[in-house]
Amino acid sequence: MSRARAEQQPATGTTLIVLVGLSIAFLLFMAFLNVVKSGNILNEANLLYAALIFYAGAGALYLGFGVTGTDSYIRFASLATWAGLIANSGAVAHRWYEAGHPPFASLYEMLLSFVWTLAALTLIAEKRYAVKVIGTVTMPVAIVGVVLMQLLRSEVRPLVPALQSTWLHVHVTLAMLAYAACALSFALAMMFLIQDRLKTENFLAATSIFTVGIYAAILTRFEKWGGLSVVAWDAENKTEVFISRGVRLFVTIPDLGWMILLVFAAVAAPLVLYMLARVKNSEGFLSMANRAVFISILLQTLALVFFLLRARDGVYPSLDAEGLYQTSLAASPFILSALVAGIFANLLYLLLLWRRKDLERLLPDAEALDRITYKTICIAFPLLTLMIAAGAYWANRAWGSYWNWDPKETWAAITWLVYAGYLHMRITRGWRGRRAAYFAILGFAVVMFTFFGVTYLLPGLHAYA
Amino acid sequence: MALSVRSAYRKTWQTLSSIKTGVILIILVVIFSAAGTVILQRPMTDPDDMQRAYSPAMLRLLDTTGLTDVFHAHWFVALLILVSLSIIAASVQRFPNSWRFFARPYKSPDEKFRKALPTQAQIAITEEEHALDAAERALHRLRFKSERIVRTNSFSVFAERNRISEMAVYIVHASLLLIFLGGIVDALYGWRGSLTLTPGSASNHVELRNGAGQELPFSIRCDGTGEETYADGTPKRWWSKLVVIDGLREAARKEIVVNDPLVYRGVRFYQASYGRTGKLDHLLLDARPSGSASNAVQQISLAVGQSVKLDAETTVELAEFIPDYVVQDGHVYARSNDVENPAVHLIVTSRKTNAVVNVWLPEIPGIAENASSPYIFEPKDLKTGLYTGLEVSHEPGQWAVWAGVVLMAIGLTFVFYISHVRFWAVPVRDAQGRLALWMGGTANRNREAFELKFKELVEQIENELKPAVVAGQAPATSIAGR
Repeated sequence: MSRARAEQQPATGTTLIVLVGLSIAFLLFMAFLNVVKSGNILNEANLLYAALIFYAGAGALYLGFGVTGTDSYIRFASLATWAGLIANSGAVAHRWYEAGHPPFASLYEMLLSFVWTLAALTLIAEKRYAVKVIGTVTMPVAIVGVVLMQLLRSEVRPLVPALQSTWLHVHVTLAMLAYAACALSFALAMMFLIQDRLKTENFLAATSIFTVGIYAAILTRFEKWGGLSVVAWDAENKTEVFISRGVRLFVTIPDLGWMILLVFAAVAAPLVLYMLARVKNSEGFLSMANRAVFISILLQTLALVFFLLRARDGVYPSLDAEGLYQTSLAASPFILSALVAGIFANLLYLLLLWRRKDLERLLPDAEALDRITYKTICIAFPLLTLMIAAGAYWANRAWGSYWNWDPKETWAAITWLVYAGYLHMRITRGWRGRRAAYFAILGFAVVMFTFFGVTYLLPGLHAYA
Repeated sequence: MALSVRSAYRKTWQTLSSIKTGVILIILVVIFSAAGTVILQRPMTDPDDMQRAYSPAMLRLLDTTGLTDVFHAHWFVALLILVSLSIIAASVQRFPNSWRFFARPYKSPDEKFRKALPTQAQIAITEEEHALDAAERALHRLRFKSERIVRTNSFSVFAERNRISEMAVYIVHASLLLIFLGGIVDALYGWRGSLTLTPGSASNHVELRNGAGQELPFSIRCDGTGEETYADGTPKRWWSKLVVIDGLREAARKEIVVNDPLVYRGVRFYQASYGRTGKLDHLLLDARPSGSASNAVQQISLAVGQSVKLDAETTVELAEFIPDYVVQDGHVYARSNDVENPAVHLIVTSRKTNAVVNVWLPEIPGIAENASSPYIFEPKDLKTGLYTGLEVSHEPGQWAVWAGVVLMAIGLTFVFYISHVRFWAVPVRDAQGRLALWMGGTANRNREAFELKFKELVEQIENELKPAVVAGQAPATSIAGR
């Protein structure tokens, strides 16, 4: 069966590449015509649109590889990524110039920087570490990122006094770099586990547990009668609505809670089926579990679309105050990221399920990946250290104290300790291979909690971004 | 008896200095720190919120165990001290070996060492001196400084770089201890509080976080304060002009903004907040005589308690200013200090009729007597008093903390990026008795890059020695590497 497919491959291979190339050219031409009418070509919005087109092309080719296994796609996908990165850099530069500060001050700007970093990392991983297949993962995320940016408001927000400091920019830049390095180490550790022949069903269990965790976290906002609480948005001041210092105002989007509950059941199903397969030692349950993953992806996408439609510009009542309040996507970055991350993780699992042999062929061997993971953490750890130090120095200049045992600060320290633990276990105890990979994955989980969980899940002590 | 004491001491020392202890302690710190972020902590939370969040029994339990103020609990501090002791013990135990290695470079490798070294090569040579020269030249080209070591009846060559890298890990741990030390000093001797000033006032009393007061040996005076906003009203900049009065003279002055404090004698003053007091500075009014058709408008400015003559007969006095008024039972009360709903109470006195009229702006029904006033008043503007909120802190230990951070950056650079590399070149006789140049090398990190460099070195030496090889005899070079 696979041999027959391989014989068919060369023909469809070039077809897709040519199709993608033509589409890119067409879209760029149309955009150019539009832009020529309005006059200003090299502004941020146009550059971002060009980047989106190139990333979409690259993503299509990478996904094409994911579905059919043709290697030549990857080469052209690289080229498209390069083009997209150049356009994206233009957009970042324009934004920086317009705003007067590096693009880190709002969700829109964070997404801009994030997408740029993804493209840059994709190319670095390909050139430096010869991991060519990483684009299959990063480009779709980049596309989603740019699409989300189109849905957010993009005005430049002036900075309040506390944020007007060089040290803030240093701290946030270091944080972004450190988290990017940690994310890369996570991806590499995952790749190691693939090359180390970890069974596919273990990946199924892990993905399932992750998705269940995400939906459980979203369900903490489930209100009686089936609504979902999201933070209200003050469109005039372009900020979240606060009842009092540090306490946000929540509105309830009706019926969204039921939707999330339904999808929660759908994402729990693969996990349950997996456990049944383990207990009964049956292959049948396992294949049902895989089919359940596919169905859950469809339902998760439905939930995302529903959320986007309802939360984008809605007006809803609140349980805490009279009247109707607006909401916006910018007010709910966590729910948004969580929904996208869930879909994405499950898609990656499907890629592994369908294309494991090809991935094993294209990825470096396990030992190399183990070493590269260690090297990446050797970059991430000093960055984390400097980030914490810069944050402490900035806090000292702004509020008079360099350490307050704030939840954000404390969890950053915990992250630092976990990665220090990884280094100790590796250098002093010689932990390699699987144990080191699991430790690296744990480290990234803690990073994600520090970045997202502290603001979203923890009691509102000092809730700031 | 003495034996058991010594063995008990030794056992304690071994446990304290073991990596396992260190890891367990760190895991405990992580668990309790995490608990401190999930459980509401008293210093940051309103007591009412605490009571609303937890049942009385739970709150009592949390309070007695110290979980409502984890980071200041005695057992948490003890845990951090234990971590420090474990770091010290582990470093002290391993230091002598590392120091021996660091202080006494191994310049002349013996036969056992040469046999066992993983990265080595042997080049067949005809003449010792020529070979050693070639080796030195090759090393110099790789930017290594080499030295000749005297052996029993020949020389050997030794080159190394960055020996300090062997000590890097101790630098990192020492920096961590320095940071802890700074933190402890600040916890014991430092303080933080706040101070509110209005323009023109001075104070030397700081109100600390825990409610106590701190007297400063000098006072601080505010000469002015203000705010700049963006077009849409969000704050752009808060500033205060501060003057330090030490003894009888003005010792320092600075205009501070957020992120740029005034520092004097180890005490730092930060611009934390800014606002308007509820008190009125002055009120601008337009006064028009009522009844008559004249349009003569007088513009007057009044502070609370101040009175102004409107004409020969009439004076008006600003009796009360209420920033946020509410009427209850026929009386006017102040609901808050924020200027939300201001009300002004003017008393108009007519000398001729001896009448006293209570004018209220806005006209509050049942209380105001605006109709019988000889003048009609229209408020134009009101200026309330300003205050500036300063955070004041004294943190003597922070220098240790910053020094520790810099030291840690240096240490980490050495730990990750600077490797201690050694090369040896020794003329030897191989199993058949022929002359050969033995090459060996070690590196304590980045081994792949090192292996490449070693190969390059050996190749360079071979190329130099090629012409010297006797025709017909192929150079016998064996390279072993990991």
